[in-house]
Amino acid sequence: MAQCVQSVHEFIQDSFVPMVAVLCSEDAEKVTRKNNLNFSELLRPFCRLTSEGHMRDPNNQVQVVKNLRISVNNVVTRPSVPASGTPSLAQRLLLSEVVSTCQPAEGGVANVITAGDYDLNISDRSLKASVPWYRDWRDTLTELSTSKHYTATTPWFEAYRETFLQSMPAADHEFLNHYLACLLVVSSSEAVPVEKFLKLSQEQHRIQHSGEYTNPKWFIPNTLKYYVLLHDMSQGDEHRADSVYEDMKQRYGAQGCYLLKVNSRTAAAGADEQIPDPWSQYLHKSKQVLCVDGSLVNSLDSTHPLQLDTSGDTPGSLDALRAVAVETKAGTAAAAAASHGACLTLNDHDRIRQFIQEFTFRGLLPHIEKNIRQLNDQLVSRKGLSRSLFSATKKWFGGGKVPEKSIAELKNTSGLLYPPEAPELQIRKMADLCFLVQHYELAYSCYHTAKKDFLSDQAMLYAAGALEMAAVSAFLQGGAPRPYPAHYMDTAIQTYRDVCKNMHLAERCALLSAEILKSQAKFSDAATLLIKMTSEDCDLRSALLLEQAAHCFINMRNPMVRKFAFHMILAGHRFSKAGQKRHALRCYCQAMQVYKGKGWSLAEDHINFTIGRQSFTLRQPENAVSAFRHILTNESQQASSQQADLDSVLLPLPYINSSATRVYFGHERRLAEGEKQAATHVSLDQEFDRDLAAMWRDLEEQVVASANRGVVPATFQATQCCLNSQTDNLRFPLAVVEEPIIVEVVFRNPLKVPLVLSDVSLLWKFTLKDFSRPQDAAVGDALAFSNEKETLTKQSDDIIATEVIPEFFLNPEETKVARLKLLPHQTGQLNILGLVYNLASTPSTGGVWQYTALVLFIGPSPADGTSVRGRQDLEIQGPRLNQTKEEKTSVSHGPDRRLDPTITPPMPLLEVFFLQFPTALLCGEIRKAYVEFCNVSGVPLCGLRVVSTHPDFFTFGSSSLATPLTPLSPTSFENCSAYKTLATPPGATPGSVAAVTLVSAGDFGLGEGGSGTSNGVAEIPLEDRVLKPGQSTQLPLWLRGPDHEGVHEINFLFYYESAVKGGKISHRVLRHTVFICASRSLCVRATACRSNTLPEEEAEEEDERRNGSMLVFVDVENINTNEAGVREFHIAQVSSSSKQWRLHRCINPAEDKDCKLNSRERGKLCFRATRCKPVQEKYIFADLSLGNEQIISSTTPCADFFFRRCPPSDSRRPPVAVETQGRLSRSQGAGPGGGAEDLTSLVRKCNEVDLDIIVLWKAFVVEDNKQVILEGQLHVALQTIGKEACSLTQKEEAQEMVLLKFKPELPPPMTRPSMEQLSHLIKTNLHYPESYRHPFIHKSLCLVPVTLTLSNCSLAQVDVIIDLRHKTTSPESLEVHGSFTWLGQTQYKLQLRAQEVMRVPLRACFLHAGVYNLGTPRVFAKLADQGAMCETSQQTATPALIIIINDT
Amino acid sequence: MAVCIAVIAKENYPLYIRSVPTQNELKFHYTVHTSLDVVEEKISAVGKAMADQRELYLGLLYPTEDYKVYGYVTNSKVKFVIVVDSSNTSLRDNEIRSMFRKLHNSFTDVMCNPFYNPGDTIQSKAFDGMVSAMMVQAS
Repeated sequence: MAQCVQSVHEFIQDSFVPMVAVLCSEDAEKVTRKNNLNFSELLRPFCRLTSEGHMRDPNNQVQVVKNLRISVNNVVTRPSVPASGTPSLAQRLLLSEVVSTCQPAEGGVANVITAGDYDLNISDRSLKASVPWYRDWRDTLTELSTSKHYTATTPWFEAYRETFLQSMPAADHEFLNHYLACLLVVSSSEAVPVEKFLKLSQEQHRIQHSGEYTNPKWFIPNTLKYYVLLHDMSQGDEHRADSVYEDMKQRYGAQGCYLLKVNSRTAAAGADEQIPDPWSQYLHKSKQVLCVDGSLVNSLDSTHPLQLDTSGDTPGSLDALRAVAVETKAGTAAAAAASHGACLTLNDHDRIRQFIQEFTFRGLLPHIEKNIRQLNDQLVSRKGLSRSLFSATKKWFGGGKVPEKSIAELKNTSGLLYPPEAPELQIRKMADLCFLVQHYELAYSCYHTAKKDFLSDQAMLYAAGALEMAAVSAFLQGGAPRPYPAHYMDTAIQTYRDVCKNMHLAERCALLSAEILKSQAKFSDAATLLIKMTSEDCDLRSALLLEQAAHCFINMRNPMVRKFAFHMILAGHRFSKAGQKRHALRCYCQAMQVYKGKGWSLAEDHINFTIGRQSFTLRQPENAVSAFRHILTNESQQASSQQADLDSVLLPLPYINSSATRVYFGHERRLAEGEKQAATHVSLDQEFDRDLAAMWRDLEEQVVASANRGVVPATFQATQCCLNSQTDNLRFPLAVVEEPIIVEVVFRNPLKVPLVLSDVSLLWKFTLKDFSRPQDAAVGDALAFSNEKETLTKQSDDIIATEVIPEFFLNPEETKVARLKLLPHQTGQLNILGLVYNLASTPSTGGVWQYTALVLFIGPSPADGTSVRGRQDLEIQGPRLNQTKEEKTSVSHGPDRRLDPTITPPMPLLEVFFLQFPTALLCGEIRKAYVEFCNVSGVPLCGLRVVSTHPDFFTFGSSSLATPLTPLSPTSFENCSAYKTLATPPGATPGSVAAVTLVSAGDFGLGEGGSGTSNGVAEIPLEDRVLKPGQSTQLPLWLRGPDHEGVHEINFLFYYESAVKGGKISHRVLRHTVFICASRSLCVRATACRSNTLPEEEAEEEDERRNGSMLVFVDVENINTNEAGVREFHIAQVSSSSKQWRLHRCINPAEDKDCKLNSRERGKLCFRATRCKPVQEKYIFADLSLGNEQIISSTTPCADFFFRRCPPSDSRRPPVAVETQGRLSRSQGAGPGGGAEDLTSLVRKCNEVDLDIIVLWKAFVVEDNKQVILEGQLHVALQTIGKEACSLTQKEEAQEMVLLKFKPELPPPMTRPSMEQLSHLIKTNLHYPESYRHPFIHKSLCLVPVTLTLSNCSLAQVDVIIDLRHKTTSPESLEVHGSFTWLGQTQYKLQLRAQEVMRVPLRACFLHAGVYNLGTPRVFAKLADQGAMCETSQQTATPALIIIINDT
Repeated sequence: MAVCIAVIAKENYPLYIRSVPTQNELKFHYTVHTSLDVVEEKISAVGKAMADQRELYLGLLYPTEDYKVYGYVTNSKVKFVIVVDSSNTSLRDNEIRSMFRKLHNSFTDVMCNPFYNPGDTIQSKAFDGMVSAMMVQAS
């Protein structure tokens, strides 16, 4: 229920008050006009009596009259409201005005009603009450908020009710609002006041009795005339006034006249004095009432009401009324501005109050008392006979009625009219009088009697009136002598409505009844009553009553929230039909609270839709947007029926997913240009990949470090060409002038209609800065530009060219990206603000969707009707901060500067193209391609470098070694070998002694040691190191297929700098990614074996001395699976590269020299390798050509790839690292550091080779019926004697399987070198003739000289013991016959220095001819320093057989 | 017969609501929603102690100008609401009762479906068919 500000009693009392008319002389009017008021207005604030009055009832009982109010009105003679049941147009207009001006207070008392699960905030969404009317309510409202019975107020309803009751036309069947008295007001300044009084009195008499006027209506024939002499203190002669007053008292009696002195203050003097203005709260209402009452003239300029031209314009036309309403409002405003009562002092106020009191108590009440008495007497005198008499007459006349009624009128029951003096009416009159003076008991009994009479007469209108008033007076009776007769009211309402068709009266009755029921907590009944009163004819009334009914529902003991909501919706609907949009919106919003989020989506959508539409018409775009968005985002578009009539939607359409916005700096790349293939770089088509980004960042860091002599500068920031939500957007990105900035915006169409955006472009703001000047100077000419104002577009295009997309189509529910381009022409700071577009739905979608989507206006839309200009800002929230504790506990977001690039001065711009770049290679295949570098900017470029994830994949060749043999341009290159070759001299046997070259690793761009080789940065050998603007250069590029089969992603990062230093951007990069598919080619395995034979005689002395000789076995297997394509492989050449070893010659059997391998074939090659003296860390390349031309392996590209693939082979393998160190320390001449570690390495060292085998092959491949020869090279690193090494490193795969160990495994340095290792310290060889002829006949003993060669393999001094004695332990006696003996010293103790070779001459003595094994000497060795160690038996040589022939 | 049949969850959100397609669907949604007030009133009218013996059928909830609204509450506080055209005088209390019983049985079947998640909207074809059968007879 809407709690009323007034109590029920107060409300009902005030609804029916004694009416007093005013007739005023012109002079008197002038007096009051000084105060901006007319006389009745002057009195109005003082019309409530503060003191109690007393009167006696007919039984002489004293009746107390409390809190009486009288109503003083000017006499208006023209009937405004026809006495019919329907309210006039004017009245409706007025009521509507009253309701619409009364809006809930903004930020009013938050009023939450809890009902069941629902918490309803009733005074939500308050609208600003900007009307002065609000002021007087505020006080009462605050007062009320403190009272405990406060629930919710609906002041608009009360305003409506008050206005409605005031504007009730006077009816014939009741007298409550008939005039009881008339004030005749004459000014004291009148020449002859008494004469004037007489005139006015006659006038009044004429109005009442002449029959000329039906309006106003008068209560009693002899209306009380009260003579008021109005004296203006500021002008008039007070004495004269007093004397006139004396005269009046003589004439009319002291109780019938009054001297009212006003205007004691001169208008000028009183300006500074603050006088309360009690009129303001009454006046505008009263003026409106006045307007409705018929005088369609603003009271400000009205003269005497009686002189009005009553035949003036009729309130027929709505327009006229509107005009008046407007005028009235304007008048109100003006009146409010000009204060009222300017000439009145507080004293005057008191005088007026005094006057009213005097008039009421001395004049009015006695008058009423007298009349009640008279009426009572009349009635009592008739009482005896009346009942019986009337009933008797009725019988006599056969049910005939009181004479004035015809039979026809009888049928039309509402039309029954009594003559004014009919006795039934006298009772009613008396009842009304009693009621007005608060004698409710008497009033009730009179009404009751009257009701019976009327009912028996079938005078339904009269009866209903009596019933209504009987109920009201029963209710108002204190002490509750009888229960409130609710059924009286029901009957009355029904009668008014159904029988009399007088909605006006029915409504009044219902309002009273509902209020009474509410006060008795009969909310259900009240609600029913109110709902019944709603009808089709008046939307405003229906809406208000429905709203009241809804309030009743939540005030029930068990609040019916859903009913409340439903009726609120109904009310809202009616409000909206009545044009009360704000009220409608408020109702829907309140109802929404019940439906929200409860799963009743259809209803919820409907409400949201209505709220959205109402908000839109009320110009509350935010609310509208949120409401519509709710509908749309909930995808509850099943309610297409509702939206079919949707003609205006207010939404930022389409949605823009701001955070998904991507920004790209730079030109869009052409990926291919003819046969040229451009570097892929970065493009908007690529998805962001965090791992890739990290990879690129690492690469960039590497290359930057290498460009800055190995140190990454502290300010290093990885280049980001494409910014998105996952990149680091904390810094202002740098863009280069004259290079485009592309912004990719993600649009989503949430609707089921296609949308067309046209003229889409970006909005930006730009601050001009010249970075070339010093900083302080730049601040001075910081100029800001923007293209926000469309007129500036021309000019702004000179600064930043803005691309406009002419049309952009969005299918229903589609998400699509648009790329918008900006091209800055100046340096400075750019801020991309948002975008603008014209929005339209496609006309092709038919009539159902008349969707004119309106977007938040940024200006007048083109009056096209079908499209609107829209603007949306791109606001990107940065990532949530989570670093410090404060940031963790609160939700704060960092900045996102994606859209705020700094435009820097020009920078070089590199474009890279690849020519003849393959996509598929065999493993190890060498291919030559070309790369073109092109500087497309206006700034020279230098410092070009490249870094790659696969540095072993490509080489630019070594710049130091000129390679004149390779053609520089790709066109001249056809089927030419990538290698540099030399034809072998004709007669030479293939595989004979190798050609040897010495090369240092530094020549191939690889520094000695770790840093240079571990990262894959390569400087690109540009001529004069600078690429001038517009210049382009082509360089050969050799590629080698990766060693492993499969698809390889190879990333290149090209780095370059501006030749002009000092720019904001230190360097730029260009990315390129290729995918290479590698397929299997050959598998090369190699083993090295120690050769047991002594070097041949012809071998150089040096080599011999160094005892270096090794056998190298190379197994080559064709593992290519593509049998159709690859026909066969030829091993063209085998080269070696090492610091100490070189391949010497091929020792394959001659017929195997032709080395062809068909599919799955395997071939074996044997080589002898010899040790050579290391030359200053230079690598020795030895080429053993197996074909007819020698490939010079020591040049580009072969050597390049060799160095690239094997950074000194051992450093790749961590376990050997220790050893490397050991070797280093030794080579530096550090003394024999002792310790087991050193020992181990020493021992191991003697088993080590460091030889890399390069197998160069040719593959014959059929491609498109053409035979193509492919070339390639494979590398095998031999490290240990006897251990097989393979070109396919399977080891790494195996390593992946090793369990993760969290503790570093201790290297086993303390373990002693194993026996097996120690047994390799000394290599022994027996040198003897294979067969020996000896004539045993002549000489029984045969002595054969045998040389035992001992060579120390190790690099330490070794003690050797040679024991020649035969083993005696041998149990077999086999050797008894075949035994021989060593002659001479049987045991030798020797010391061998590092790598020393020592020959020990021995003599063997044979007794018989036969075959003997000379390999019996046992050699024990131990390292010289290691005293504790015992000698280890050295591996015995192979059986050394000697044949002793008996030479006869 | 019926012009609208609705199943409302214990928490008063609709599990299933279906109305004669030619009519204003929204109106029925509002009607059913508003009727929940009466349902609650009727349930609360029965004392707590008596709650077990309470009859499931609630009878006529309230008549509107054009429709009569009947209610039924299962023991698990799931509400069934059937809206019937006021002009249809052939429907007596007993017929309505049997309609509710059928509805309840069918609803029980839905709940027994192991793939049905209690609290989800009902999408069972069998249930749909049964509801259609109850509504088709009207047209």
